Amino acid sequence: MLSVDAEVDRRDFTVRARLDVAPGERLALFGPSGAGKTTLLEVIAGLVAARRGRVELGGRVLTSTAGQSVAVPPWRRKVGLLRQDPALFPHLTVRENLLYARAAGARAELPGLAGALGIGGLLDARPAGLSGGQAHRVALGRLLLSHCEALLLDEPYTGLDAALRRSLTDVVVALVAERGVPSILVAHELADAQAFATAMAVLDGGAVLQEGKPHEIVRRPASRRVAELVGYTAFVPVPADGARRVAGIHPDRVVPGAQSRQGPVLAGVVTGCRPAGALWEVTVEVAGVTVPVRLPDPAPAGRDLVITAVDPPWFGPDAAASRDRGAAGDPGKRGRRPGVGRARLRP
Amino acid sequence: MSWAASPQQVSAPAGPAGPAGADGPPPGRRWLAGATARGGLRYAWNSASLAGTALIWLALLGPVIALATHLSWHAVTSSLSAPGAFGPLVISLEAGGITLGVLVLLGTPLAWALARGTLPFPRVWEAGVLAVLLLPPLVIGLLLIFMIGPYTFFGQALAHFNLSTTNTFLALVIAEVYESAPYYVLGAQAAFAGVDHRLEQQAALLGDPPRRVLRRVTAPLAAPGLATALAVAWARAMGAFGAVVIIAYHPQGLPLQIWTTLQETGLPTALPFALVLLVVALPLPLAAFLWSARAQRRRRG
Repeated sequence: MLSVDAEVDRRDFTVRARLDVAPGERLALFGPSGAGKTTLLEVIAGLVAARRGRVELGGRVLTSTAGQSVAVPPWRRKVGLLRQDPALFPHLTVRENLLYARAAGARAELPGLAGALGIGGLLDARPAGLSGGQAHRVALGRLLLSHCEALLLDEPYTGLDAALRRSLTDVVVALVAERGVPSILVAHELADAQAFATAMAVLDGGAVLQEGKPHEIVRRPASRRVAELVGYTAFVPVPADGARRVAGIHPDRVVPGAQSRQGPVLAGVVTGCRPAGALWEVTVEVAGVTVPVRLPDPAPAGRDLVITAVDPPWFGPDAAASRDRGAAGDPGKRGRRPGVGRARLRP
Repeated sequence: MSWAASPQQVSAPAGPAGPAGADGPPPGRRWLAGATARGGLRYAWNSASLAGTALIWLALLGPVIALATHLSWHAVTSSLSAPGAFGPLVISLEAGGITLGVLVLLGTPLAWALARGTLPFPRVWEAGVLAVLLLPPLVIGLLLIFMIGPYTFFGQALAHFNLSTTNTFLALVIAEVYESAPYYVLGAQAAFAGVDHRLEQQAALLGDPPRRVLRRVTAPLAAPGLATALAVAWARAMGAFGAVVIIAYHPQGLPLQIWTTLQETGLPTALPFALVLLVVALPLPLAAFLWSARAQRRRRG
């Protein structure tokens, strides 16, 4: 069990977080750049001092500022940290890198793990000769062979292509499950976080905004800020039951036509259409709000379009006002940022 | 240049002047011609820069060439067969070796601290090292008399242990240390600064306390740079003259032997000792450079 409860001062804000990760559990810390995600990992690893807080790992107190203060140095924490830079030691071979920590029994484990990671043939190579994906596998193997008791992954796959990212994620998931260590992945791409995690925490401006299962957070974001972070691009006020509420529209959670049993039906005018992967990204102007949606068929600009937002998250109208005034006041951002308008509810 | 010209030439045949390709090679050819012209220019440029580099190299090597061409076999044998001819060589090697030891022991921690920026007011520390580098060796020698001469506090303190810093082996070592230390410290600082801090951090996270990180990661990664710095310092120590001539005229090392031989019997008898200095001082730096280049190459894969 890895539990963190920490307050860390950064230059412009304070990171406050409380996280518990059970053995074998995979937590994704998701949030925009500069949210304080990396800082939290560094507190756990002992590279950054917390102003106040407590870090415990498997019953060992690693950091504590209450009472008699404890700060176990990084080399006694048994916390593995993998960053975007694999940080392989260039003067050592792959084998020497893998066995760097000299953990008991690592030598016997090496062939099996190297096989599982697909680096069995590279053991005598030097890091300079490895590709990006191979270097990451070696770095991961090195952490696992160090028998670390927690695994921290700080956006390790940034800069690698999607297929490689997916295969590395699968390897990590399998090995973490096998070893039963608590692990935390920092990600600013939702797909990376979802592919890895059993639990997710959304971090923004140093605060944990929401915790839960990854799909729950995407389906039921607790606030408009969380909704924006997980991909809701438009917020449309819909009069319902006499009260005005705001529906969060996710481009992928929209079906064409009026399907009022699935959610609110929105009618608007197409303002743009371009291919997006196997779908078409169509922008619809719904009562002054630009709503980007992804649909299976293209729609020409100027045409009326009726769409249904499938089971959208609802927000109070007041929460909307403060953020969107700022956006509306900046003409350069208009149309790109979610705006507020009134939708006609079709009978 | 040919890039700008070819589109016009290519479009010309399509104009009203005449049928396409009537008065010149087809456009593709023109482009090829432009490419070879560019290739020719690049070739000329490469040759010119190679010739320039060779010229600079020869100019730098000039003194060595002059030495080789002005040495006669007879002068070498007669100079080197004189009694005690190799005494200064032995003294120079001993003093140089001890100097290197002192530099490694005292200079390496300073260089490491400078590179890590752990010292308060780091610029002040660096300026101090640079000041020693900037002072002419002769001036260093003169100032050393004020600092450690027989009538100074240090001189008198050393006298209690029957040590003296004028015209002794100790004085020679001190003078050599002053002349070579900044070269080693600045070179070693650059070597340490070149070690990626993230590697040291990763080693710590893998369980190594700082001292073991230094031994297993920092030192091996800085080693090529340290070797180069040590080679430069060795060359400075072996050739040290300015400070040495002031505070350590005796016992004579090689550079002073060359100087006194020149004074007493002239250039032809002095030159063979210059050859000895070159032959004796060269292998260590050469080996250091070769080893360092090999280590760097292996790391780059």
